[in-house]
Amino acid sequence: MIRRDQVKARLTLNAPLAEAVLTSFIRDAVETSGTQGVVVGLSGGVDSSLAAALAARALGPERVHGFLLPYRTSARESEQDARLVAEHLGVPHQVIDISPMVDAYFALESDAGPDRRGNKMARERMTILFDQAKKLGSLVLGTSNKTEILLGYSTVFGDNASSLNPLGDLYKGQVWQLSRHLGLPEQVIGKAPSADLWPGQTDEGELGFEYETADEVLYLLFDMGLRPEEVAARGYDERVVRRVVALEQQFRFKRRLMLIARLSGSAVNLDQEIPRD
Amino acid sequence: MAESPSTLLKIGLAQIDCRLGDVERNAERHLDWIERARAAGVDLLVFPELSLTGYRLLHLTPRVALPPGSPILRRLAEAARPMRVLLGFVEEGERGVLHNSAVLLSDGEPSYVHRKLYLPTYGIFQEERFFGAGRRLELADLPWGKVGVLICEDLWHPELARRLAVAGTRLIIVLSASPGRIGAGALPESHESWETLTRSTALLDTCWVAYCGRVGWEEGSFYPGGSHVVRPGGEMMERAPLLVEHLLVTEIDLRDSDRLRWRLPLLDDERFDIAGPTS
Repeated sequence: MIRRDQVKARLTLNAPLAEAVLTSFIRDAVETSGTQGVVVGLSGGVDSSLAAALAARALGPERVHGFLLPYRTSARESEQDARLVAEHLGVPHQVIDISPMVDAYFALESDAGPDRRGNKMARERMTILFDQAKKLGSLVLGTSNKTEILLGYSTVFGDNASSLNPLGDLYKGQVWQLSRHLGLPEQVIGKAPSADLWPGQTDEGELGFEYETADEVLYLLFDMGLRPEEVAARGYDERVVRRVVALEQQFRFKRRLMLIARLSGSAVNLDQEIPRD
Repeated sequence: MAESPSTLLKIGLAQIDCRLGDVERNAERHLDWIERARAAGVDLLVFPELSLTGYRLLHLTPRVALPPGSPILRRLAEAARPMRVLLGFVEEGERGVLHNSAVLLSDGEPSYVHRKLYLPTYGIFQEERFFGAGRRLELADLPWGKVGVLICEDLWHPELARRLAVAGTRLIIVLSASPGRIGAGALPESHESWETLTRSTALLDTCWVAYCGRVGWEEGSFYPGGSHVVRPGGEMMERAPLLVEHLLVTEIDLRDSDRLRWRLPLLDDERFDIAGPTS
C-alpha cells in the first residue's frame, strides 16, 4: 500500500550518489569507445543543461562540446540560457543556425504545419550533432528523461537519438533535483519546460498536465505496478491518469526503434540478442 | 594453549570490472589482480560472478564457454600458486549445457566447481534462457576448513546457506554481479538488500560471509561494488568502496564461527523433522 503523500519521497534521489553513478557512466562510455569526449545540443532547458553538467564533471569541461542550434523562430531567451549554461560549465560551445537547412526543405513543402516543422528541426539538430561528433571523435550525449521517454514526448530519430543517455532513467522531477544539486543556474531550472518548437509553447501546456503529476502517476504505474484505477483512487485526476496511460501506449514504438521482419531463426535482436558493450 | 593457526586466513576480494565477452583480456586482468593479491599476502582470492567473461552475455554465452580443465584456467591456476583463487566463468558442461559457474583453482589446477543453482529470469535477468541450473551443493575443501560457495541469486534462497552451514562450513563466499539501483538512501538500494542478506546469513547460520561484487557498466547497467566481509553474528567487518575497482583484504579466523556457535547453537538446534503446514 502506497499513499499519494508518500510518492514524492520515493522519487527523491541521493543526489551525490546519483552524480557519482552517472558521471561514471559517461566516463565508461567514452573510455571504452575510445572517443575524445561528447557533443551535446544545448537548448537552454534543464535536461540538456544537466546532461552537459554531468559530462563536464565526468570528463572535464574541455572534452564536452556544446552546440546551440537555434531556428529563426526560436526564443531568444533559449539561446541566452544555453550560453549562460555553457559559460557556467566552462565548456566550449558554438552556435549553428539551422534556419537555412530547414527553410530550404520547407521551400518545397510550404504547406507543412508546426508539427512537421518541429520534427524537422529536431532531426536537423540530430544530424548536425552526429556530424560534429564524427568531426570531433566524440559521442552524442542524449538528454531525454524518463518522463518524456515513457510519454513518447520526443521526435523519433530527433531529440531522442543519441550514443549514450545519462538522463533516461530520471523522471523530470529528479532532473530538477539533480540540477539543483549540481548548482545549475536557477533561471534554467525554474523556467517552464518547453521544446521551443513554436513561440510560447510549453510542454505542460501541450501535454495537458504538470510534470510533477506525470512523474507520480508514471511511478505508480511502472515502478510500483499499480493499475490505472488504483492510481486514480489515490486522488489523481482520472482524466490525467487516462491521458498518461494513453500516451504511453500510443508511443511505445519510439522506444524500440528497429522493427525487423523475422524470416530466419537468427534475426538480429529477436533471436540474436548480442550485447552492444 | 596456542591457537590453531590453520583456521586463520587472509581472504582477498577482487572487486574488478570485466570486459563483456573478452576472455583473453579478462584473464590478463585476473593475472594482474593475482599479483596484487600476492603482494598483499592473500591466501584465498575471490573474483566476482562471471569474472572471466562479463555478466550480460545473452547470445554471446556459448562463444565464451570453457570446460573447467581448459588451458586458460590452468594458466591462471598455475600463476596463482600457492594462492587459492575462486573465479566466475561460463562452464561448458556435459550434454551441451552451459552453466554459470565458480571454479576454485588450487595447487595449479581447478579443484572444485559450483554451478549456480538459482538462475534469475525476471526483470533485467535472463539467465534461464542461456544457462542450465546446477543440481548439486558441495563444500570446497581448503587448508583452513570447508568452505561454501554460492553465486549471487543463490543467497536469496536461504536454505542453501543453511545447508552449507549444517554440513560444516564456517565461511560462505558469494560471487556476485548484481546490477545496481539507487534511491534516496546512502547506499545503493540494491546494495542495502545485499547487506541485509549477508548479515542475516552470518547471524542465522553463525558463519563468516564474504561477498565479492563487481564494478563497471554493461549495456547501461552498473555494478556498484561494495564487496564486504561479515563476521559470524552479522557485524560488518570491512567494506570496499563503491563504484571503483578495489582489492579488499581481510584476515579472518574461521574459529570465530565455532566460538559463536558455542554461545548461539542455532545450527545444533536446527530441526528438519517438523511436519506441516499442510496447505
